[in-house]
Amino acid sequence: MRTLRYLLAAALLTASTARAQENVPVNGPHGTARPVHAFIHATLHPAPGEVLRDATLLVQDERVVGVGTRLKVPAGAVVHDVAGLHIWPGLVDPYGSVGVPAKAPKEQAGGTGYWNRAVHGTTRADELYTHNTALNAKLREQGITTVITHRPDGIVRGSGCAVLLADRAVNLDVLQPRSSAHFSFNKGSSPEEYPSSLMGSIALLRQTLHDARWYAGQGSRAQSDADLEGVNALLGLPLVFESSERNDIGRIARIGREFGLRFTVRGTGDEYARLADVVAAGTPLILPLTMPEAYDVEDPFAALEVTLAELKHWELAPVNAARLDSAGVPFAFTLHGLKEPADAWPALRRMVLAGLDTASAIAALTTRPAAFFGLSERVGALREGMLANFLITSGHLLEQGNQVHETWVAGRRFAHKPYGEEDVVGVFDLNLRSVILRMEVSGRARPEAEVYRPAADTVRVKARFVRDDQLVTLEFDGRRLGFDGPVRLNGIVHDRGGIWDGQGQLPGGEWIAWSAVRQAVRSKEKEGSGDRVLDSLYRAPVGAVWYPLTAFGGPALPDTEVVVFRHATVWTNGPQGILRDADVCISGGRIVGVGERIDLATLFPGRTRPEVIEVNATGKHLTCGIIDEHSHLGIARGVNEGGQAVSAEVRIGDVTDPDHVGLYRDLAGGVTAVQQLHGSANPIGGQSALIKLRWGLGAEALHIDGAPGFIKFALGENVKQSNWPNDGSRFPQTRMGVEQVMYDAFHRARAYGAAWDRTAPRPEPKPDRKGRRRPAPTPAAELPRRDLELDALVEVLEGKRYISCHSYVQGEIAMLMDVADSMGFTVNTFTHVLEGYKVAPKLKAHGAGASTFSDWWAYKMEVGDAIPYNAALLWREGVTTCLNSDDAEMSRRLNQEAAKAVKYGGVPPEEAWKMVTLNPARLLHLDQRMGSVEVGKDADLVLWSADPLSIDAKCEMTFVDGVRYYDAVRHKAWTREVVRERERLVARMLAAKKAGAPVRKPQRKDERNWECESLGERP
Amino acid sequence: MLLTLADGVLAQRPTPAPPQVRSVLVRGATVHVGDGRVIDDGAVGFRNGIIDHVGFEYGVKARYDTVIQLNGAHIYPGLILADATLGLQEVDQVRATADADETGELEPEVRAYAAFNVDSRIIPTVRANGVLLAQATPRGGLVSGTSSVMQLDAWDREGAVVRMDDGVHVEWPRAYVREGWWAEPGGTSTAKDEERRRDIDRLRTLFMNAKAYRADAGAVDLRLAGLQPVLNGSATLYVHADVAREIQEAVLFAREMGVRRLVIVGGHDAWRVSDLLRDNKVDVILQRVHGLPLREDEDIDIVYRQPALLKERGIRFCLGYTGGMERMGSRNLPFTAGTAAAYGLEREAALQAMTLDAARILGIDQRYGSLEVGKSATLVVSTGDLLDMRGNNVTHAFIDGRSIVLDDHQKALYRQYARRYGH
Repeated sequence: MRTLRYLLAAALLTASTARAQENVPVNGPHGTARPVHAFIHATLHPAPGEVLRDATLLVQDERVVGVGTRLKVPAGAVVHDVAGLHIWPGLVDPYGSVGVPAKAPKEQAGGTGYWNRAVHGTTRADELYTHNTALNAKLREQGITTVITHRPDGIVRGSGCAVLLADRAVNLDVLQPRSSAHFSFNKGSSPEEYPSSLMGSIALLRQTLHDARWYAGQGSRAQSDADLEGVNALLGLPLVFESSERNDIGRIARIGREFGLRFTVRGTGDEYARLADVVAAGTPLILPLTMPEAYDVEDPFAALEVTLAELKHWELAPVNAARLDSAGVPFAFTLHGLKEPADAWPALRRMVLAGLDTASAIAALTTRPAAFFGLSERVGALREGMLANFLITSGHLLEQGNQVHETWVAGRRFAHKPYGEEDVVGVFDLNLRSVILRMEVSGRARPEAEVYRPAADTVRVKARFVRDDQLVTLEFDGRRLGFDGPVRLNGIVHDRGGIWDGQGQLPGGEWIAWSAVRQAVRSKEKEGSGDRVLDSLYRAPVGAVWYPLTAFGGPALPDTEVVVFRHATVWTNGPQGILRDADVCISGGRIVGVGERIDLATLFPGRTRPEVIEVNATGKHLTCGIIDEHSHLGIARGVNEGGQAVSAEVRIGDVTDPDHVGLYRDLAGGVTAVQQLHGSANPIGGQSALIKLRWGLGAEALHIDGAPGFIKFALGENVKQSNWPNDGSRFPQTRMGVEQVMYDAFHRARAYGAAWDRTAPRPEPKPDRKGRRRPAPTPAAELPRRDLELDALVEVLEGKRYISCHSYVQGEIAMLMDVADSMGFTVNTFTHVLEGYKVAPKLKAHGAGASTFSDWWAYKMEVGDAIPYNAALLWREGVTTCLNSDDAEMSRRLNQEAAKAVKYGGVPPEEAWKMVTLNPARLLHLDQRMGSVEVGKDADLVLWSADPLSIDAKCEMTFVDGVRYYDAVRHKAWTREVVRERERLVARMLAAKKAGAPVRKPQRKDERNWECESLGERP
Repeated sequence: MLLTLADGVLAQRPTPAPPQVRSVLVRGATVHVGDGRVIDDGAVGFRNGIIDHVGFEYGVKARYDTVIQLNGAHIYPGLILADATLGLQEVDQVRATADADETGELEPEVRAYAAFNVDSRIIPTVRANGVLLAQATPRGGLVSGTSSVMQLDAWDREGAVVRMDDGVHVEWPRAYVREGWWAEPGGTSTAKDEERRRDIDRLRTLFMNAKAYRADAGAVDLRLAGLQPVLNGSATLYVHADVAREIQEAVLFAREMGVRRLVIVGGHDAWRVSDLLRDNKVDVILQRVHGLPLREDEDIDIVYRQPALLKERGIRFCLGYTGGMERMGSRNLPFTAGTAAAYGLEREAALQAMTLDAARILGIDQRYGSLEVGKSATLVVSTGDLLDMRGNNVTHAFIDGRSIVLDDHQKALYRQYARRYGH
């Protein structure tokens, strides 16, 4: 059985098994022998789901030359008897950075690079790769033989290469020099300010892809750009995109649809939480084998800091792969991100315990990743002609305690743990000439020995036990066993580990012959019992996924209801004014009846009357939903792209975060829709998203269909960086500069629009919902360069995109209106606009609306003249006036803010109420559908316990599109459910800890609630 | 012309009211005593700045020089704002106006009284909604400094001070460190834990040294001297702490140091450790009621309900308005009490949390906080419910019997522009 001498984890290389690099001179005799290696009696797994028993694998040079059960071993073959062992195809890791420097060099890159240094179009991993022999060895020990490696730096990261971990010349080991192209939303080591947010990263990537197209056509005649040339070359490769949270998948897929590209996404392991969206995105996934650690939740106070989202993720993370598999999402596994490559196996076992099919698991480590990169003909399976990449294991790959004995890469052998080694575990009689002691050896993976007297085993002495193949040394303190000092023995193991013998030295220097004879194979295996408990714990059914995966999410999404509210005080916001003792009926997401006594038989004639829920609203008030014109709620990873004075290209809609608990809190405050605004760090900010608070749905489903485009502008102290810790350098630093930024931007936009008009109609900047684009009639090569920033501004000039402008003092407000008048557009909304009262007639004449705070002031110099009577004065002057929050807490009390318009300046209550409902709907051009309780409008309704303008008013129900997203009674039940679910998971975590699962300390997570002035966040 | 001139004056500040000369009876109103009692059709009389009648309005009219006849209005004790930086900073973003946060970590000796600006333009706007007293409080560091309770209508700080150096404020080291952020949480940092232990040790060392300190024994040590009032019981130790563990540690620390009077400021989790607080007679200045839950999983209205939760558990508390926009926003203090009332606190108890209990916690209840004979005539009159946005319409306010001007520069600007537009 023993045919070769093992050196642990070291390659024993004979010249014959290594293909030499043909064009390189050899120092010494050229080895010409090409022996066949025959592995016989193997349990062979040539591909996922296939097993050959008592099979033979034949390998010559770097290739497989035979796989089968009745193969003849050729004469002269080196025979490896692997009876009882398994052979698997070498694992393929589809994602990593092994052997490639993590970052681009610091110094300024020379040459004709792209203007933004987060774009590394020319980076080639195959040019950077060197063997990281230490890491390669670690990966090989786990059976990894092929890795797709790349430099994980920047938004465009260049090409990756497929390498074999054979530690030969790099020229031989690079299997596919350009295997893949890599992308992320993280600008990495780029020293530039832009992009400073996720939405900026998205915009930069989109612009880069547009530029690359242009460069492929007329652009290259105008200028040279090695990076753009590089990007164009990259787009022909398999595309891999690194995500950093589950909602990135939709963002990546959207870019893919826009440019007709198909990305494989490096996921984060929580895709189950938005499974339907992931399926819809249609992107294959590369999944990490990381598992969230349990938390230490013994202290109930400390456990408060662990969120339900984390608790649930801990429980649900192992089911992720199984659920993706059932949903038909193709995925591969990567070890990237693990602290230790060996951690992959416990993670995989948990996934299998949670229901992942073992064949799928193996495929995700072998054939799947190979297929992702077009390597299926060479790696990932064991077929004749494929590379001899395989591993020899003690058992099934996914079985607990499985050991990888050897990994062969391209026919090169790497031994980790000898197979066929005698098992030394058991209880032995230890004969030391005249003295007979007893010795117990336990622990198969790392044997330990204890020595004691046969009569009384109360005194057990731990021995230092070292085994190197068949040689053993044993040393123990003999003082409690009848000797004067240390006993030291050296010997050889025989007879399948049952007999050891050799020479030793007793205290005092006397040499003796000794032997150990096994009496029993019994051993107390220390590992095992805890693992079994954990296994059954991990096998237990898991809780439901909540939408979203956070407190107050629900296991299912509520449906639209047919409801009739009876005897309510209805604030219609329409010509009917406030109706007392009136009824309102909603059905199919719309308001279908408003009146004194709604007769359902009339409303739903015939037999088709649906089941109608009657709500007795006696003494209660029914209104339309509140619309927050100025919100930064639910925005992921950065609300400002402040790196440039003009960032019209960025879109909040790209970064809507549907999982933020603030959305639910807002619903409980009667809010049904908000404008998610870019911040105010630069004069021309980014494009807004108008969303309805459809709590539980995914990001794209929150966006209001058919809503007009908006863009944030800003003036004053923020944009001139007055309140920055240091003097700023970005233009503008004064209000004078701000005006010129505006003129400059719009003159550029005008020229840009004209250039497109001369060549071809500008392509519709937004693809429709299915991702289709209208084909441009002019050949792409002849088109002007698409400029996403100017596209947005041209829309402003054309009246297709509306401005919401952060502003304070009267002079700057007048300035922007003058710019608009002279360029032929209208400023739709001035937001904050605290000195609006000073220029109210001008606002009215220009046609601008105002969205202000009820009573904020004194937070900076420019709000010294802010007064709480602003709204009243503006309203009296006939300006469409709103009250907004700009604040996650105030947003849920906007009814109180509206009441302040009554307090400060005596606005009639009905008109004050419109300032948080109908007027924002008007300014957002949504008043055809929202903002009042009238037949035909969206069923966005709020039932209040009292007059909504009173301090006693509490929201009892909130409907959006006829769906009851908040209900105070149901909320109480949900709150109890949150507690129950937490307790269930805490108990489970405690059990896991008891069974030996590692735990980490709870920690506080601060929510991010943006304000206008929140600056950069790493994307 | 005259009116315009008056507006010009108001752009600066209203004139502080002179001492009470003529006795005043306010009658025909609902009297909210501040201790939970309500007197319908009541009256409040006062002379020389002291209340000498609270009760029914019959038969006392003749005893007063001036009778203010109200028709169904409400009378309340002047509201008291605890843990405030009113008068210590004017404009958030203008550093030149910032006087609330001294540099240094252990600075019990710095005193809000030294910086309090009686002429702050913010003060009249806050007063106009019924807030007549405020605890001017230093911020920052581990030991922020010493607060003083001020009334909000005075020519100078000597005239404004109600209780000088009422207590020392400690920012208890945070129990949980922020790592990464919610979308990308980072790992737990033991280094930060060590930092925290070190900070608590620094506090302990400071207090131990202060206990051993004898002023007559040698050179004056301002820091140690600054802590003497909290150690000898003449001032309160205010510890700003939110999560349960911080509060537990603060209570144990105060006990260890022999501090006689401890008040927890912030107190998000105070209701969770109410037994500890009650047993140790620790009061709470509660964080702003219009706040967000500290934790994602907590009930969405937990902060609105905290006053009711503390009341149920027998903890004495008053309301703060600490946080963003805290100075200009503190005119909303009564509405935070209104929200507390909407969320389970009895309405008069909500008032008490801004009046009598606030006075007790700040140690000024001998003179302020309720409408009782013998106490200072510090009261506000509102045509409607002071705790509701639409009811809050303050027509009269008295501090120590002085009838204070309720106008401010914001109203002046309003009048100016309303006139301009012919409204």
